[in-house]
Amino acid sequence: MLLLPASHVLSGGPLFAQTIPSVSRSGSKTSVQFLYPEQISVPAGKPFSTDLHFRVDPGLHINSHSPHEKSLIPTNLLVVEEPGLKVQSVDFPVGAEYSFAFSPAEKLSIYSDQFVLRAHLTAERGEHLLQGVLRYQACDSNSCYPPKTIPVAIDVIAK
Amino acid sequence: MILIVLAALILISWSGYHNHLRRSLESQQRAASHVVLTRDGEGGSPPAGEATGTPTDSGSDYRPGALEHKAAPAFTLVDLNGRKVSLSDYRGKAVLVNFWATWCGPCQVEIPWFIQLHNQYASQGFEILGVSNDTLDDDDQTRLEQEKQEVSTYAAKMKMNYPVLLHGDTLAAAYGNFDSLPTSFFIDRKGTVVAETNGLHPRDEVEADIKKALATGGQ
Repeated sequence: MLLLPASHVLSGGPLFAQTIPSVSRSGSKTSVQFLYPEQISVPAGKPFSTDLHFRVDPGLHINSHSPHEKSLIPTNLLVVEEPGLKVQSVDFPVGAEYSFAFSPAEKLSIYSDQFVLRAHLTAERGEHLLQGVLRYQACDSNSCYPPKTIPVAIDVIAK
Repeated sequence: MILIVLAALILISWSGYHNHLRRSLESQQRAASHVVLTRDGEGGSPPAGEATGTPTDSGSDYRPGALEHKAAPAFTLVDLNGRKVSLSDYRGKAVLVNFWATWCGPCQVEIPWFIQLHNQYASQGFEILGVSNDTLDDDDQTRLEQEKQEVSTYAAKMKMNYPVLLHGDTLAAAYGNFDSLPTSFFIDRKGTVVAETNGLHPRDEVEADIKKALATGGQ
């Protein structure tokens, strides 16, 4: 299980949108799943951090948030802006080093198995919906799949 | 009294669960929106090329080798210089139609092989068409030019010595709904697919497929 300690993180801002970007259409296989949480309780008006758990299908890997090559598509989290809920930043784990068997000298920075993003947020009193999409690009041992997105939705209850 | 409290608790729990379901449904419905707001957003309709195929999202029904021994689907795409290139322009030649993308690591491994093999077999009537599956945003002219420049820069960096065509995603349906890259089709001189590969294959296998395409179909 790839769950890196909090000290091994890269802080990055989420990308913001006013509506959710289109996600991969149904029937199109996605290689990553958002596991949990579905709901969190937070203190109203105070900074709070929550871990977002994802899983990559066995046999596949996705580029980390900071791939070594500019042409590679990084994993990113896009968050819909919502009144009363502010996501200040998102921590991405540092990727693991990986090389394709046919190119051992080229090191990639990847996520595989399970990985965790940590979102730092503040919510006004009430119920909110933290919604967004995770964008990623997956490969197996000798081929790569087009970039895809999966929805992320979390009920945020601020008291 | 106890029954009343119990009933109230059950009602509260059901209400909370129902509310969560409603929120999940609302979230899913919003996610079905076709609004793409960021450069990295995916989805929306693929750009309209001049391919005979229908644009599609992914190859959930892809069957490797389904096109072998069949006529290669005709297409016309635009190259990096804006020129229209048709598969029919190469009738009488053996052609490797290679689908790739700048974000595809295995593609980056085989492209140098293709360059060498192109140099080696071009005199025998062999040609390669490198079809880029990089997403191009036709609705935003500024981004489109930037994206095309990225493909062009990549092709120059890799020293690709054969035509590089754009909007390869418009051919996905016609070419079997492949769902990963690289995917290659080896076509003989009469336009018949003699071999098809999905994923990175050894160099000597690529060369064998090129020889097969050159050997069959006649003049």
